[in-house]
Amino acid sequence: MGGTKLKLRRIQWIQVVLAVSVVLAVTACAKKKPPAPPPAPPPSPAPTAMLTANPNAIVAGQASTLTWRTDFATDVSIDGIGKVDPSGSMKVTPSDSTTYRLVAKNDTGSKEATARVTVTPAPPPPVTSSTPSESDAQLFSQNVKDVFFEYDSSEITAQYHSVLQANARFLQQHPNITFVIEGHCDERGSTEYNLALGDERANAAKQVLVQQGVSGGRIRTISYGKEKPFCTESTEECWQQNRRAHFVYGK
Amino acid sequence: MAADADIFPHEHYSRLPIVGSLALHMVLFALAIFGNLIPSGRGENWGGTEGGGGAISATLVSSTPLPNPQTESQNVLANESKGLSQSLPKEAPQEEPKAIPIPAPDAKQKAPHESAIPKKEPPKQVAKAEPNQIPYGQGGPVSGPYGSFTSGATKGGFGFQGGQGDFGSRFAYYVDIVRRKVSENWLKYEVDPRINDARRVYIYFEINRSGQPTNVRVEQTSGIPSLDQSAVRALQRIDTFGPLPAGYPGNYVAVEFWFDYRR
Amino acid sequence: MKRFAAIFLSAVIASAAFGAPPPPQDWIRTGTGLGVEKIRLAVPDFKTATDPDSKKLAATFNVTLWNDLQAAGIFDIVSQSFYPLSAPGVPQEVRLGEWAAPPPNAGMLVFGNVAVQGGSLAVQGWLYDVKNAQSPQVLGKQYREDANDDNARLIAHRFADEIIFRLGGGIPGIAESRIYFVSSRSGAKEIWQMDYDGANQKQITHLGTMALSPHASPDGSRIAFSGVSNVEWQILMYSLELNRAVSFPRFQGTNLSPAWSSDGKWLAFSSSRAGDSEIYVADVMGSNPRRLTNSKGPDVSPTWNPKTNAQIAWVSGRTGLPQIYTMESDGTNVVRMTDQGYAVSPSWSPNGQLLAFAWVRHYGPGAPGASDIYVMDVASKQWVQLTHDGGRNDFPTWSPDGRHIAFQSNRTGKTQIWSMLADGSQARQLTTAGQNSQPNWSFK
Repeated sequence: MGGTKLKLRRIQWIQVVLAVSVVLAVTACAKKKPPAPPPAPPPSPAPTAMLTANPNAIVAGQASTLTWRTDFATDVSIDGIGKVDPSGSMKVTPSDSTTYRLVAKNDTGSKEATARVTVTPAPPPPVTSSTPSESDAQLFSQNVKDVFFEYDSSEITAQYHSVLQANARFLQQHPNITFVIEGHCDERGSTEYNLALGDERANAAKQVLVQQGVSGGRIRTISYGKEKPFCTESTEECWQQNRRAHFVYGK
Repeated sequence: MAADADIFPHEHYSRLPIVGSLALHMVLFALAIFGNLIPSGRGENWGGTEGGGGAISATLVSSTPLPNPQTESQNVLANESKGLSQSLPKEAPQEEPKAIPIPAPDAKQKAPHESAIPKKEPPKQVAKAEPNQIPYGQGGPVSGPYGSFTSGATKGGFGFQGGQGDFGSRFAYYVDIVRRKVSENWLKYEVDPRINDARRVYIYFEINRSGQPTNVRVEQTSGIPSLDQSAVRALQRIDTFGPLPAGYPGNYVAVEFWFDYRR
Repeated sequence: MKRFAAIFLSAVIASAAFGAPPPPQDWIRTGTGLGVEKIRLAVPDFKTATDPDSKKLAATFNVTLWNDLQAAGIFDIVSQSFYPLSAPGVPQEVRLGEWAAPPPNAGMLVFGNVAVQGGSLAVQGWLYDVKNAQSPQVLGKQYREDANDDNARLIAHRFADEIIFRLGGGIPGIAESRIYFVSSRSGAKEIWQMDYDGANQKQITHLGTMALSPHASPDGSRIAFSGVSNVEWQILMYSLELNRAVSFPRFQGTNLSPAWSSDGKWLAFSSSRAGDSEIYVADVMGSNPRRLTNSKGPDVSPTWNPKTNAQIAWVSGRTGLPQIYTMESDGTNVVRMTDQGYAVSPSWSPNGQLLAFAWVRHYGPGAPGASDIYVMDVASKQWVQLTHDGGRNDFPTWSPDGRHIAFQSNRTGKTQIWSMLADGSQARQLTTAGQNSQPNWSFK
């Protein structure tokens, strides 16, 4: 009598323990394993900050992309925008020339970075164009896709050839759009060689577009080598993400 | 780049009992490991005979175990004169040490300077202890403790003929520099590897004011052209030994470099 | 039994392949006195007066002198614990016997005195040949500058260079040379400079975009570098005398990695003005560029043979992964130097005989990307590996004396500038703030 009751309780107890451990195991597995912590930074280093605007000269109505990167900062904000992530980018469409100021703070001190966007008044809208230029930028980013490369290669593979063809079709429908193709590389190689390789990648993409009938005068190319990566992990996925020709709207 | 390895073909698979087989394998094992140390006139097989970049691993000189060339232990008197090693010691020159370019106030210091340095009488000719040392007759003795030259088993010396025959005693540090630089630049592998020892070779050259070796010539050949040439090339490789010491009045100093090659 | 024997035989073969010492190797001479015993140099602290100014500057002087002589690569500095208790300040106080005998057992002695008199720093220094009692003096020098810390360091550099010049066989010391490099510590990648030992780090450019690949002119008056200007990569020129950018022609395409010939007449660089990046040579004003290479794939990072200016080494991806090539300075006689892997960033040694470069000998997808600094003898293609720490080591640059190499390494977690002797020893870190890369050692 007492014995069975005890046994039941024990079974229940075991079940509870099992259930709890299963739950713990599941949540532990589900929880993403944090990456190995970087070597501890020296106590309270001063923050660093960098802010760029690309392009830094626009016509009124066009957009510019602010890109910023900070290190060691706990509080980062940009005048006129507010609190932002420590690193990131965002499009802005100032109507007048503006100097954007970024302030990165931590308990040691703060660092500022500025970027200026010069705005020239909009030219009279071309008669033929009926689309306002703001949505051009949006359409551009929706329809013009980046292409990716194999390691150490600037060859456009068949898969990305069709992507470029699709890009070309959009660009031919919007003949007033000008843009930049940026060539990027993954972090593994050497600075100078990667700048040259990125240059080849940007040019390769440009060549395909030109063959498809897009006027070369609308296209500027620049290589950033491995200097402006899209991600910074040392993994095959991130490296593939960085080996690309990146399309950017505007001058 | 894997090291060359001699794989000795095991031609007869022995059916001897295990012990015999093991013993044989041990012998082969030892041979395979140490066989590479047997000099095999392999000669010059470096470089890219196979076009498209036959890059080959090499080692830096420091890892090559050169024997300690510390022959300074035999403090032989600095002396320029040719002839037997038991030459009379020349007393040190009494000219004021012009080497100090520090102006006048030091004039007072010169007298005490000379007497302050105890005149070390040169340790007696320990040269006899050193078997293949100073030659009889031509060749000139080593200058001070620095003029002797060693590389591997090869021994030699420098004779400086300049000034009043006291170059080596006054500017021993310069002699040392010459010795070092020639040592550094003498590539023994340029000598035919079949040569194990040779007759003495005498190389003559001059060092001009700015330290460049000039007028390099073989004064007495060893009879082996590759040996003579390796010495001449060592000197040609040297751009400068550094300017001649300020206290030396001549425009150049003549040097005789001799050595007995031993592999 | 048969199986046992087979296993044993394969073990023998395996150990023969890997365990046997390689046959006696040919060797490369990097001119650091390797294989020849180094001069044993005793460097006691210079004597100084008791006032605090003198003591402070003497301390700076002593540390700098010691470090310069230590870093020279040709001396064996005798440890201070072996020195006799009283160090000489003037020649009368020298007792050679004390220094020549063990424990110091020195070959040469450096001594002197430092004093501050009326706002002026006065230093007297001597170099004595300890083993030559009859005429020990090799050098005697006197210096006088305004009394401040920078001058204490400057005098020490000068005196160390004199000693190195005398005892090192006529090759000037590098204590007053500079290293130019790229630093991100201001927020953007800019060109900076520092003394050869990492002191006096100063920002030079303030472009705010991206400045890379600095190369100082042979006379030290200008720095050529590649920078983003108006969304293009151009060769930009900065005058150190005027402290501002000076004009240089703009070319189409991406223009990178400028390199000066040692006679100050030519500039080689990489340009994709014709579509694909190739090596060009122009005069130092940028006029009359001539194309030297003509092949697919990136061609970048040229370096001149500074002894003859008749050859250029550079990096080409014409066969796939980048390799090092050499050619005559008119573009003929192209020779491939590396045979595998990923080889970049060549730098030609001042004596014209060696190439330093960064190499990943086994490179491929998934490879960790570790690269090391190697030195190769140009004539024989024999090479030696200098770094072995498994990190990323790149951009070697030779010092003017040919005995040191500066390079970038991420072995501490961030990319920093390091320097080492040309045999790979005595590596030391020169920078710490931010990320620092692409060092370029001045020509003198």
